[in-house]
Amino acid sequence: MESVILAASECDVSQEIICAPQDVLELFFFKDALFTIGGFHFTRTVFLIFLAMFIVLGLLYFGLRKGEKVPSKFSSAIEALVTFVKEDIAIGIIGPEGVKYAPYLLAVFMFVIVGNLFEVTPLINFPITSRMAIPLFISLVTWVIFVIVGFKKNGLRYLGDLIWPKSVPVALRWLVGIIEFVSTFLLRPITLAVRLFANLVAGHLMLTLLLASGWIFMSSVGDIGVRSIIGLPWFVFGLGIYVFEIVVAVLQAYIITLLSAVYVQTSVHPEH
Amino acid sequence: MFASATPWLLATEATEESEGIDLLLPETSELIAGIIAFAIIFFFAWKWVFPTIGKTLEARQAAIKADYEAAESAKIEAESLKNDYQAQLAQARDEAGRIVEEARQAGESVRAEVVARADVEAAAIKERAAADMSGERDRVAASLRREVADLSLDVAEKVVGSSLDRPSQQALVDRYIDELGGLGN
Repeated sequence: MESVILAASECDVSQEIICAPQDVLELFFFKDALFTIGGFHFTRTVFLIFLAMFIVLGLLYFGLRKGEKVPSKFSSAIEALVTFVKEDIAIGIIGPEGVKYAPYLLAVFMFVIVGNLFEVTPLINFPITSRMAIPLFISLVTWVIFVIVGFKKNGLRYLGDLIWPKSVPVALRWLVGIIEFVSTFLLRPITLAVRLFANLVAGHLMLTLLLASGWIFMSSVGDIGVRSIIGLPWFVFGLGIYVFEIVVAVLQAYIITLLSAVYVQTSVHPEH
Repeated sequence: MFASATPWLLATEATEESEGIDLLLPETSELIAGIIAFAIIFFFAWKWVFPTIGKTLEARQAAIKADYEAAESAKIEAESLKNDYQAQLAQARDEAGRIVEEARQAGESVRAEVVARADVEAAAIKERAAADMSGERDRVAASLRREVADLSLDVAEKVVGSSLDRPSQQALVDRYIDELGGLGN
C-alpha cells in the first residue's frame, strides 16, 4: 500500500482517471531487504512468511493446549477447524487412510488461509501467497506426494492405467492417455499453483489500485476541486472488493487443500 | 470494467520494460523462507496438533460418557425412589381410607346399639307403666268392690234388722257386683 501511494504520488490527478504505479511489479516486490544474512535477503515478504507461520502455530497451540472438557469459544473454533480438515477433507475425500495426510493438509490449509488473509489485514495488506514461491512449493509437494503414493500403491500399473485407460474405447486410448499424462504430471502442479497465485495477485491489484486511486483523488480536493469526486466510486468499489476478497482468501485456501486431497485420492484409488 | 482494464494495460507495459516474468518466478529468499515456515507448521501439526487433539477428544468422550452414565444411574435411582414414595403414599392413603371407614362403621354400630337399647328401655318403661297402671286399677277395683259389699251388707243388715248369714250374704253381693261389673264392661 505504501509503495503504491509513493509511486502514485506522481499521478497526474488532473489528467488520469485512475492512479496506477509506473511498474505494477512495485506492488509485489519489496526489493529493500530489512537485513541480509550471508546472501539471504530478509525482506518484508520474508518477514510476513514467518509472521504467518507464527500466527498459525499460535492459533493451533493456544487453541488446543488446554484440551478442556468444555472448550472455550476460541478452542472450539480451532478444534472445529482441525476436525474439519481431518474428517471432511482428509478422510472425507481420500477415505479412511486419508488420516495419514491430515497433518500435511492442515499445514497447507492453515498456512495458505493466514497468508491469503494478509491481503485484507490492515497494516499488512499483502498476501504472501501472491508471491509464486509459496503456491509453487505447496503444489510441488502435493505433486511429489501423489506421484509417490500412486507408484507405491499401484506400482507401474499406476502409469499404465493412466496412459492406456482400459475404460476408454481402444481407438481413443492413446489420445486420452496423452491428455491424462500431461494433465496429471505437468498441468496439475502448475494449475494448482497458478490458481492460488493468480487469484491473490488479481485481488491485491484490484484493492491497491482502487483504494489508492480513491484516496489520492479524494485527498487532492484542494488542487482539483470537483474532479476529486472520481475518487469516491473507486473507494466504494474498493471497499466492496475488500469484502469479496475475504471470501476469495478463505475459498482459495479451501480449494488448494481440497484439490491436494483429491489428487492424492486419485493416486490411492486410481480407478475412480 | 474500465477500472480493472487500466491496470492490466499498465501491467503489460511494465512487463515489457522490466522483467515481468519475475512475478511468476519464485524469489529464492522467499522460497527458502516458505519451505522453512511450511516445514515447521507441518511438523507441528504432525507431532503435536493431531496427537493433542486426539487425546483431548478421547478424554472428552470418556468424560461425557461417564457423566452420561452417572446421570443415567441417578435417573434410575430417582425413579425407583419416586416409585417407592408413590407406593408408600398410596398405602398411606388406603390406610387412611380404611381407618375412616372403620370409624364410620364403629359410629354406625354404636348408634344402632344405642337406639336399640333406648327402644328396649322405652318399651320396658312403657310395659312397666302399663303393668303398674293395670295393677293399680285392679287394686282400686278390688278395694272398691269390698267397700261396696261392706256398705251393702251394712245397709241390708240395717234394713233387715238381723244378722244375716254373713259369709253367704257376702258371696251373694260379690256375685251381684261381678254381674254389674260384667255389664259395666
